[in-house]
Amino acid sequence: MHAQAHEPSTYLVGIFTEEDQIMTVTQAATDAGLPVYDTYTPYAVHGLDHAQKLPRSKVTFVAFFGGMCGFLTAALLQSYTQGITTPFLSGWPLNIGGKPYLPWTAFVPVFFELTVLFAGLSTAVGMFAINGLFPGKKAKLLIDGVTNDRFAIAIDPKGKNYDEAKVRGLFAAHGAAEVAFIGESA
Amino acid sequence: MSSHTSHLREPLVTGNPALAQITEDIVGPLERPPTKLWLAGFGLATAVLGMWLVAVSYEIYNGIGTWGLNKTIGWGFDITNFVFWVGIGHAGTLISAILFLFRQKWRTSINRSAEAMTLFAVICAATFPLIHMGRPWFGAVWFVPYPNMRGPLWVNFRSPLLWDMFAISTYFTISAVFWFIGLVPDLATVRDRATTRIRKTIYGALSFGWNGSNKNWSNYETAYMLLAGLSAPLVLSVHTIVSMDFATSVIPGWHTTIFPPYFVAGAIFSGFAMVLTLLVIARKVMKLEHMITIHHLENMCKVIVATGMMVGLAYSTEFLIGWYSGSNYEGYTFFSNRATGPMAWSYWTMVSCNVISPQVFWFKKMRTNPTIIFIMSIVVNIGMWFERFVIIVTSLHRDYLPSSWAMYSPTWVEYTTFIGSFGLFFFAFLLFVRVAPVVAIGEVKAVARWAQKGSAHGH
Repeated sequence: MHAQAHEPSTYLVGIFTEEDQIMTVTQAATDAGLPVYDTYTPYAVHGLDHAQKLPRSKVTFVAFFGGMCGFLTAALLQSYTQGITTPFLSGWPLNIGGKPYLPWTAFVPVFFELTVLFAGLSTAVGMFAINGLFPGKKAKLLIDGVTNDRFAIAIDPKGKNYDEAKVRGLFAAHGAAEVAFIGESA
Repeated sequence: MSSHTSHLREPLVTGNPALAQITEDIVGPLERPPTKLWLAGFGLATAVLGMWLVAVSYEIYNGIGTWGLNKTIGWGFDITNFVFWVGIGHAGTLISAILFLFRQKWRTSINRSAEAMTLFAVICAATFPLIHMGRPWFGAVWFVPYPNMRGPLWVNFRSPLLWDMFAISTYFTISAVFWFIGLVPDLATVRDRATTRIRKTIYGALSFGWNGSNKNWSNYETAYMLLAGLSAPLVLSVHTIVSMDFATSVIPGWHTTIFPPYFVAGAIFSGFAMVLTLLVIARKVMKLEHMITIHHLENMCKVIVATGMMVGLAYSTEFLIGWYSGSNYEGYTFFSNRATGPMAWSYWTMVSCNVISPQVFWFKKMRTNPTIIFIMSIVVNIGMWFERFVIIVTSLHRDYLPSSWAMYSPTWVEYTTFIGSFGLFFFAFLLFVRVAPVVAIGEVKAVARWAQKGSAHGH
């Protein structure tokens, strides 16, 4: 990625109207070794990740880590509050009907709920963080119509093997509706 | 276009609408002033919500002595309504998560409204145990295990009531997150069509700067799948734990090991009925008949028949065990009290609404007739409310000691609170259909293209 923090970058963008066109043009562009910056679609187009050679999403690791934290929290919270006394913190072990102080089977529902809660919240936060999205963010490089009915591919002119004529030829060959240089909004 | 139409199956969204047309159909109504029908509905819901506020304030001010509860019947309308509303919520998660994992693409037209229904139903549910505590400002806080000045005296993690607190709050949080993540790309669509400054600002802030980037979609789809995977066991756990509020006690009629699956099946049953009630109205009022097709309604009717028979099986299993266990109390509870006792009318209402009447959906003519579907969805809702009433009140009113037997007659406060909770639900739901896309735009677009191309891509 060639993310410029201060100077907004400009990309050569081809805009298409069909899902099939964005698939084939992206596949052709990556096959030709052109510097594909990203593609933009109104819905998740299946197979486009592969055509674009995107790595596997890291959100799964975040979710797993969050889930583990949730499980640990539930384990510590329940064992501390229900029976364990430590030199620093002491709870108030309650004798309820002569039942054991640390009945792990009775703790299972809360183990499960907190694992799911932490995993779910970290999945959501992790996804937005990895994508660099946050409440109130202004959309960068917003191509007209990609949230409605257009499919776009952006080629990075500062990238390796960039060749404007070749890119324009490729876009035309796949039936681009429009080709233009589009800059990120500051 | 016609050359691409699949001959193998009916398209999920009829009419092969162009992508822009889908956007227009779903977002258009949000940009126009509300219809008269919406205003009338919203006015009615607000009035009913007002009734709820009056009843709840009266109860909180005077205490739960204003209810018809007594020493024998400690749980009445309050917990019945709680279980009723939680159960309704379950269909939303089932449609959005479980059908997603099973790749049931017909869910795309209905998952958004079903998820919203879940959120509002869980809110309605949560109000009942809260007001039932009598002093909700204490009760709500004492349920939370935080370091405190009481010893520190902690909550009891061996109690199913505490498990329930964790289950319901986790369920609400995860459902809200799942719903919001689904909304983000659609809110970006609304933002990009916005013409007024205020809409641009609000939808701009809520859409998190979404620009349709496929790098984002890639992580988004992974997160969506993970959340679906987490929600699926979560929804099963929630009603399992709700059932444990009863099953871990020693009251005949409550102390039953089949309660968890029985409650989960009942929750799906009542939830699908509520989704049908809402969708039959929504597709008509919002003119979305080509997106929420008769095929969708028919599929849901099939789920209603299946789950209706599951609860029917559970009802009869209870009788079998009442006899087979040889326990006098079990036998009395089911044969002499529930089916033939003073509250037998509620039992037979439940059986006719939940087991007998859904059988009409064996006939395709019935499954594809919106009027019949609407009437049946109301009947099932009534039946499922009575199921919880039967379990809670008829089991409590005659237990081991005849000297403590009692009858239950709810007061106007309980009736008003129950009816008023529908006002709360519809107030929230009608607001939602005005401010957010009621159908998942991105998902429907993907399905519309898929239908056009048939199964050539085989997803």
